[in-house]
Amino acid sequence: MSLSALTKPWAATSYGFLDASAKRELRRKMLKAIAVPGCQMPYASREVPMARGWGTGGLQVTLTLVNPASTIKVIDQGADDGVNAASIRRFISRVSGATETWDTLGASIIQSRHRVPEETLGADQILVLQVPNPEPLRGVEPNMSIARQMHADADYGRLWLTLYEQIVRKGRIMQGAAYPSLVNGRHVMTPSPIPRWDVPKLHMAKHLTFLSAGREKRLHAVPPYTRVEPLVFSDRPYRVEDHADLVCRRSGISGYFMNEIPQDHGGSAFEVSDSNLGIKAIRRAEGEPVEIGATWYQDGEFSA
Amino acid sequence: MLTVAAPDAAEARCNATFEALMWSMARPGEVRELPEPGLAPIVEALIDRECAAYTDSVELASMIADTGAVLAVDLAMADHLFLGELTGAASELDAIRCGSALYPDDGATLVAQVAHGAGQRLRFTGPGIDGARDMMIALPPEFWAMRARLCAYPEGFDLLLVDGQAVIGIPRSTQIEVL
Repeated sequence: MSLSALTKPWAATSYGFLDASAKRELRRKMLKAIAVPGCQMPYASREVPMARGWGTGGLQVTLTLVNPASTIKVIDQGADDGVNAASIRRFISRVSGATETWDTLGASIIQSRHRVPEETLGADQILVLQVPNPEPLRGVEPNMSIARQMHADADYGRLWLTLYEQIVRKGRIMQGAAYPSLVNGRHVMTPSPIPRWDVPKLHMAKHLTFLSAGREKRLHAVPPYTRVEPLVFSDRPYRVEDHADLVCRRSGISGYFMNEIPQDHGGSAFEVSDSNLGIKAIRRAEGEPVEIGATWYQDGEFSA
Repeated sequence: MLTVAAPDAAEARCNATFEALMWSMARPGEVRELPEPGLAPIVEALIDRECAAYTDSVELASMIADTGAVLAVDLAMADHLFLGELTGAASELDAIRCGSALYPDDGATLVAQVAHGAGQRLRFTGPGIDGARDMMIALPPEFWAMRARLCAYPEGFDLLLVDGQAVIGIPRSTQIEVL
C-alpha cells in the first residue's frame, strides 16, 4: 500500500458540503429508517453553516441525496420566497450545482418546513421534511429512555388520552399541527408540524418522505405505499381544517390550505399557502400556458 | 463567489449507489441499477470506521479493512454482512443481528450476491408495494422460513440482493409468501 492509495487529491471543499463520512452515516441511517417506517433513527447531525432548529436536519438529508442532475425546491410554510427557504435553496445549489426551482412538478427533491405541496408528488420525487421535535411522546413522557420503551411496547395509550382530554374540554380535537399518526400499523410518528390538511397526503403516497430533525439528531421515513393513519376514535372521524370554502384573495383559487391574513377592521383575508400554486393560477388566468399538476385535494375534498 | 467543484468519480459513484439502494429499499422487489457490478460499490458507499462488517470474500475483506471498519470474525458481531454466496450460509445466518424492539436500528444489513429471476417464486407485500409484487429469487424456501422466524417486526435484518449490477432491496417490513 502506498501513501497515494490512502489519500485523495486536494479539494477546497467536499462536494455537497458534507464530508464523505457524514454522508456514509446518513446513508446507513436513511436505509434503516426506510426499513422500519416511522421509527426514529439516531444520527450524529453534523455542523452545517446554519443554526440548529432552522432546518439543519432536512438540509443534511438533502445534501446527502443531491447530485448535479438534481432539481431542488425548498419551501417554508408553503412559500418558496421565504428568507429561510430561499437561503437554504441557494446554499444547496451553490455547494452542489443542482438546479433551483419553484415548480413542484419539476423538482426531484423537495425540502419543506411544515407543508406538503398541494400538487400530487410522483413516484420519483423525494420529500424532505424539517422536523423540530421528532418525538410524539414528548408531551406525555419527557424522559426519552421511557419514551423509547413505550415505542418498543407500542404503548401509545397516553396519546389517545391527550386527544380524549381535548374532546372532553373543548368538544373537539384541538391538535392542529404535528398530528400523531400510526405508520405501518406499528410506530406512532409526529409528521413534523404539517397541518392536519397534509397528513392524508403521506398515506399510501407514491413518493418517498424523509423526516429529519437536526437539533434532536433523529430521522425517520415514510416509504411509498405505506399506511399513515392519524390516531382517531371510531366515533370521532379525522377532520382536516375547514378550508374547503375559502378563496385566495390574490389568485382566486379555492379548496386548498390557506394562510389567514388578519385585517385592520377585524376580519380576515385568505391567501393560498402553497404560494407557487397561487402564482401558477395567476399566470394561467393571465393567459400564460402554465401546467398545474393534479392536486391531492379537489374542491376541498381529499381524493387520492 | 463560490464555484462548485464537480463531484469526483468516487463521490458520483457513491451517490448513484446510494440512490439505487434507497429506492430498492423503498420499493421492495423493484430492480435498481448499481453504477458497477458486485458488492464493492455498496462497501464504498456505506462502510467506514464506525461499522463492523463480515465478509466471506478475500478481496472485499481487504477493501473493508482499508475503510477502517472492524472486520468481524463472527457474523453475530457484524452490522453489515457481505456474502458472495448465500445458499450454504443459511443455517449459520441464525446468529445474524436483528436488533431489539428498543433499538431496531441495531438489526444488520445483509448484502449478498443472489441471482434474480430464477428459483423460488415469491409474493411480496408491505410498505413500498402497491398491492403485491411477485418475483423469483434464487434462494431456497428454508432461507425465507428463517427470515420469517428472525424478523419479528420491528426487529429483523434487511436484505440487499445483488445480481451483477442489479440490486433488489428487501427490508424487514416486507412480508414474503413463498409460492
